[in-house]
Amino acid sequence: MAIHELGVKDLAERVRARELSASETVSAVFTRIKNVESTIQAFLHLDPDYARMRAQVIDQLPADELKNLPLAGVPIAVKDNMTTVSMPTTAGSKILSGFMSPYNATVVNRLEAAGAIIVGKTNLDEFAMGSSTEHSAYHTTCNPWDIRRVPGGSSGGSAAAVAAQMVPAALGSDTGGSIRQPASYCGVTGFKPTFGRISRYGLIAFASSLDQIGPLTRSVEDARLLYEVIAGHDPLDATSLPGELDVSRGPLPHWRDIRIGVPKEYDGEGIDPRVQERYHEVLAFLRDQGAQLVDLSLPHTRYAISAYYIIAPAEASSNLARFDGVRYGFRHPAADLLSMYETTRTEGFGSEVTRRILLGTHALSSGYYDAYYLKAQKVRTLIRQDFERAFDQVDVILTPTTPEVAFKFGEKSQDPLQMYLSDVFTVTANLAGIPGISTPAGLISDVPVGVQWLGPVLQEGRLLQIAQAFEQLWPSVPWPSVGGDL
Amino acid sequence: MPLSEEQVKHVARLARIRLDPEDAAQMTVHLDAVLEYMTQLNELNTDNVQPTMHVIGLNMPLRDDEVRPSLSVKEALKNAPDPRDNMFGVPRIMDGGDH
Repeated sequence: MAIHELGVKDLAERVRARELSASETVSAVFTRIKNVESTIQAFLHLDPDYARMRAQVIDQLPADELKNLPLAGVPIAVKDNMTTVSMPTTAGSKILSGFMSPYNATVVNRLEAAGAIIVGKTNLDEFAMGSSTEHSAYHTTCNPWDIRRVPGGSSGGSAAAVAAQMVPAALGSDTGGSIRQPASYCGVTGFKPTFGRISRYGLIAFASSLDQIGPLTRSVEDARLLYEVIAGHDPLDATSLPGELDVSRGPLPHWRDIRIGVPKEYDGEGIDPRVQERYHEVLAFLRDQGAQLVDLSLPHTRYAISAYYIIAPAEASSNLARFDGVRYGFRHPAADLLSMYETTRTEGFGSEVTRRILLGTHALSSGYYDAYYLKAQKVRTLIRQDFERAFDQVDVILTPTTPEVAFKFGEKSQDPLQMYLSDVFTVTANLAGIPGISTPAGLISDVPVGVQWLGPVLQEGRLLQIAQAFEQLWPSVPWPSVGGDL
Repeated sequence: MPLSEEQVKHVARLARIRLDPEDAAQMTVHLDAVLEYMTQLNELNTDNVQPTMHVIGLNMPLRDDEVRPSLSVKEALKNAPDPRDNMFGVPRIMDGGDH
């Protein structure tokens, strides 16, 4: 196996055992990036010098320090909405062009303290608003399985970089599915933990009650390794949860001990029949393994998109008020202050961000707050209660991650409502705050499709074990040969 | 009730964003379609439902009121478009603008 094909666990083990140096790893990864990045365009910023410098630091550590690093020498890409002192942070927006953060996001500090090496910052829909990465102000990113198709979004650069084997792992953020949906489209594992489990300090805020950081990797075990490094309480984030992580490992569960919820609202109208068929194959397969399938209803699912697209833009309109050309980022010169604000924001934001700011401002504006924002927050309660009742009966809920496989460039970008509706299976986990993970379930017409596992709040350890048990049984497929391999 | 272009322009002013006439027309079409879809929420009676402000109940954490190091002025100003005398410079607010 070439170095760039190794996963997080294998790389860290070899670096800790000094079978492989961090410098060799970084060098192999940048060779791979050199070969395929011009086709995929997953990155907004790459920093080989910084990565080499960090690798040398790892390689010079005494053995007793090296052996304690869970991610020793592991190259990792970070979505460009998380701040880094050593590299620019743009959130995919012109308004933050050239911005150099004076502090690191907590997740970046935790990765580096664990021995990981940040190689670059990945592309995203501007401020993480989108489902295709087409809304980046800089460039699009191609799906490594079919470069005519989008990688999904908003963490499309992270998903594509992992699928194209440029890095073994990347961080994404998930406000309504922005880790799980691109993971599904790119055939990788994407994990969104419970809201508050991972610090949002240094994550450029989109919707503060929904945003959550998580890993994208090529295996569930690797997702767990990253999760265990970055999760846990952080006093710098007021919504960060105290308390211990659920790191239950032990032997993987037996399927006969698992009750899998099958919600009827995730299986019907609007799903590509091929995605539906694959979902049913997975369910039948797990039943044959001994799992108990429990038909259930999450009756408020059909209201989730409406609630989400009120709450998220409302919070975004407030969060994005800080981009006014005064303290950082782009400023359009103007004669007076009001004109400066207006021209800066009009020039600095792209059309999708503008649309969501307007939608959110309307939802919060005088006379509309009760009808939109408050109503949506009440519907959110109903959606949360649906899940609470369901998890009284089942251990995990299994759904398709997305109604369709990756679509082609331009197919949906002209119709915002259609784009929003494609988030139908993922927004519910954010509204309810529960953890969710998308794992690959093979290919459909040569492009990947995923299934989504949803678990009760704070039971990440159990959820990861179930997803890993599935991953071990379900046949995997070779990674895409981007730009001619080996 | 359909969203009017005047309403969209009003909201844009609140959000400090300028819309040229073409953008205002297109935004009105898009936002109206989205808001029309959202009227489905009115099917639900939520009179006795508490809103979810936080998905996981947490008390507001407080820290001790201690003086701690924070960003230096230099660091705080390093991304400023117009740093002046250890401050953020902006166009004049009174007397019709300019410096």
